[in-house]
Amino acid sequence: MANQTPNQIEQLHKALKLTQRLRSNVTQVFQKLSDGFEDVEKKDKYLLNDLHKTLSSVNTDLSDLEAGSSTLGPLTAASNSTNSTLICVDPIIDKTSTYTQLIHTYKWTDKMKEQASYASNLLKENQFKRTPIQSGTFTKRLRRSQPACCYPQSNVDVLLNSLIHQYRDTMHISVVRPLGSSAVVMIVLGKTLKALLVLRGMVIEWVKVKGYTEDFHGEDGKVDIWSSSRYQVFQKITQHVTAATLHYYAPEMPDIAIKSLIIWLQSYSTLFSTPCQKCGQFLQNGLPPTWRDLRTKKAYHERCKLMEK
Amino acid sequence: MGVVCVYFYPVPEGKSGQQVVDGIQKQIELLGAVKTGNFCVDCETFQAGSGIQNTPQRQVNILHSSEQPASCFAILDTGTCLVADALFDGLMQKLKHYYQQRKGSKIESKGQRYEYGDFIFKVGSVSQASNFKGILVEIEYCPCVVAGDCMNLMKEMSQSLLGSAVAEQQSSFLKTKTDMIYTPADTMSQYLEHFNNFKKATSVNQAMNR
Repeated sequence: MANQTPNQIEQLHKALKLTQRLRSNVTQVFQKLSDGFEDVEKKDKYLLNDLHKTLSSVNTDLSDLEAGSSTLGPLTAASNSTNSTLICVDPIIDKTSTYTQLIHTYKWTDKMKEQASYASNLLKENQFKRTPIQSGTFTKRLRRSQPACCYPQSNVDVLLNSLIHQYRDTMHISVVRPLGSSAVVMIVLGKTLKALLVLRGMVIEWVKVKGYTEDFHGEDGKVDIWSSSRYQVFQKITQHVTAATLHYYAPEMPDIAIKSLIIWLQSYSTLFSTPCQKCGQFLQNGLPPTWRDLRTKKAYHERCKLMEK
Repeated sequence: MGVVCVYFYPVPEGKSGQQVVDGIQKQIELLGAVKTGNFCVDCETFQAGSGIQNTPQRQVNILHSSEQPASCFAILDTGTCLVADALFDGLMQKLKHYYQQRKGSKIESKGQRYEYGDFIFKVGSVSQASNFKGILVEIEYCPCVVAGDCMNLMKEMSQSLLGSAVAEQQSSFLKTKTDMIYTPADTMSQYLEHFNNFKKATSVNQAMNR
């Protein structure tokens, strides 16, 4: 609106005035018609004249307005700018607070963007990255070629087959697909424990660990992924392995995530025969060292692990 | 079913068997274990009778355990163990012309059963023909199935409960089965080993008293 020349503004004013006059005249006509006429037989001529006069003034006002509006042309400023300005032009603005809310939102977004860039600068100092998205570049976001959960079944099979082959000496790995594409991987680690991983694509979705004497098949012969081990040791290890899946989670390299989890899981083969590396004892609260360090794979009790760090 | 170690707990002089049992039970309760009922392991000895000439006298020991109430364990002197249904007792009765029950040979270990995490403790006082013979403490670690894996872990547990002198004993039977999967029959063999020791000790005592 500010871009209009003074001449145009003058014409706009004129047009607005004409519109107002037209409206008041039209209102008059309707007012008179709605009031009704008394004593029509005597005054009919006078009344008709009156009506004719007001109607003709409406007519002239309308033609004046049409002539005036033709010189004005379309509102260039409004059509060129964004949709938000159109909201501003809307006369209903006074009744709704959409525009002011919009302005607030813009301000808030700007502020957030600014603070996020500070935060990303701080986080840049930490070199450990799970995703290759460069911090601070909001506009340039790398697109993943394929989300980890949508890998085709054949790719998952290739990976699992290679794992079965690679670790056949230490663990027995078997794969079933009870409900379509999601693979359920069952691992028997020596004579120590059994583990069950549920994969969605290549993402590990669910983990359960049970004892060597327990079974993952329910009474009806179907795979039972929900029931927990009856032994406290394996309930605790289930918690630790779940935590480890989050640690090893790498959406860009899902196969590495699975491989590293399995390598780490192998360290549990000495669950009952290795003492804690911190306190040197086997038992703490009746449990053996249930935690294995994620990098060194050394055995620790749950509490000793906390003290180590 | 996990790995079981059965320990012989000596009764020091001047103390009664019941006092010692109470002491061990208190120790176990202090650890935080919960009482979960009673247990009983009994053993009867049958001897191959004089039915067949020119054969060495053979013994067969029939053991029952409250932990495996539907089973019956028959162990020969050679160590061969047969695990059968409890009906096997009836069969032994049918065979009484050949296998005769030795009188007064029934020996049993009875007492309290405790659970602590994945461990089961059983403190049993052993009696033969209502004579107190000694104390056997059984420690079971349920999640493990290979004795060799958890031997040191068991040793640590028994040391803290029964003292290092008792923990040092290790059944000669377990030493030979370090890599195999542990079965209830192995527990029974350990009990039989201890029961035989008690019987031997009695006969030596009797001999000395004469």
